[in-house]
Amino acid sequence: MRYKPGIISFVSFGKIAICTLLAACFAFPQSNGGSITGKVTDQDGAAVSGISIQAKDTSTGTIYKATSSGSGDYKFDALAAGSYQVSLPTLVVGAPPQNVVVQVGQALHLDLRARDASLNTLGEDRSFFAARVAPHPTPKGPAPRTPEGRPDLSGTWWAPRIVAREEVSVLPWAAAVIREWAANNAKDIPSARCLPSGVALLHYFGLNKLVQTPTLLVNIGEADVASSRQVFLDGRGHPKDMDPTWRGHSVGKWEGDTLIVDTNGFNGKSWIADTIPAVFPYTDKLHLTTRLRRPDLGHLEMEVTFDDPGTFTKSWTMKTVSDLAEGEEVQEIICTENNQDVEHLVGK
Amino acid sequence: MKTKAGFLIVGFLLSVVVASAHHAFNAEFDGSKVMSWVGTVTKVEWTNPHARFYIDVKDASGAVTNWNFEMGSPVQLRRQGWTRDSLKVGDQITVDGYPAKDGAKMASAKKVILADGHSVFSETPTDAQPADSNHQ
Repeated sequence: MRYKPGIISFVSFGKIAICTLLAACFAFPQSNGGSITGKVTDQDGAAVSGISIQAKDTSTGTIYKATSSGSGDYKFDALAAGSYQVSLPTLVVGAPPQNVVVQVGQALHLDLRARDASLNTLGEDRSFFAARVAPHPTPKGPAPRTPEGRPDLSGTWWAPRIVAREEVSVLPWAAAVIREWAANNAKDIPSARCLPSGVALLHYFGLNKLVQTPTLLVNIGEADVASSRQVFLDGRGHPKDMDPTWRGHSVGKWEGDTLIVDTNGFNGKSWIADTIPAVFPYTDKLHLTTRLRRPDLGHLEMEVTFDDPGTFTKSWTMKTVSDLAEGEEVQEIICTENNQDVEHLVGK
Repeated sequence: MKTKAGFLIVGFLLSVVVASAHHAFNAEFDGSKVMSWVGTVTKVEWTNPHARFYIDVKDASGAVTNWNFEMGSPVQLRRQGWTRDSLKVGDQITVDGYPAKDGAKMASAKKVILADGHSVFSETPTDAQPADSNHQ
């Protein structure tokens, strides 16, 4: 990662910067390496601070990262001459990548406009979302072990961040549903009505508190809907003829240092929102295989395989990492206490 | 893109929408239209799923309308250093935000500035000027 946030003054170059209609300005710096600098603003013209900017060398694939300063400025310097794609990778919409060519010794000015008002609410703005998925500082050391010698997964964990996800292939009915959701501004997402959204063991948004005993793993999830999950570790299987539920029935067993959790019995009524911004429907045939590992004190890895022949043409897997949230506790969220949004949600 | 069998390979198909923990912003608020309101805080609700505050806005004729503004959840706000006392009844404020799509006197708050120019919910004062007021 190479970056230096800051501002380049064109006066120092003693040259006049010429701007094109695309707001890319060229000047001639003294150094041999090229550079790209600019400012990130939101759709209203206000500076966006603390956001990740990425410059990808399109011939080598090398990715350079920068973070915008308090005034929204960013800088990539000492870039080799070549073609770069500059983007705001943490934004989900409205910030199309910009393709630029950096020549030897050239300082390129490129302002970036983020066009996503949905990341601009007090308390839920871009810095909040960026911080939520960014790695947190974590304590160092080995994972704690239980008296039985197993890794102890207990702890309060920040929301999982997706580090890998396989391509998802859905049946035509599911594709049609997803298109309908998009056309309707996702107004019917279950969480808007204080119902569970998401199916994975670790909730995708708030904190997750795991409490592990030899026979039971409990997840107290901080979510819009009070969310507790039980994973039975006492050797039992799934009950026969289960009544389908929103969160399914989970049993787990250890294989070495990996806890493998099998979850069945879903009612198919929620949305798979664990992969946000991609979301998927599913049926009561959904079966999750979850692998939990604590490779060290500060990290919890979750690998979830989604298998639903009623929705997907093949199973697919998502990998996440959660950071230990030292000093944090899961807070109470009673979604129905003042949910005023429902009657104001507008589709197409 | 489609495979030969006609099945849809799905990437980020729903990227337009879901950023809020609770509901899709775009289903409720008009992100293309930033407005500004000037008024007096009449109520603060430090509740889930969204903390809210209400202000009385007076138009040119003197008529008063009460507007309802939505923020993140108290849990999120608290973790970012704000408290239920960050905004008080009686505060004279300017709010920049995005209005409700259905015409209700509701909006999603983007920025709140006190009469002395300090930005509420922000550590550093700002002299940012609000957009032209647009009362309804």
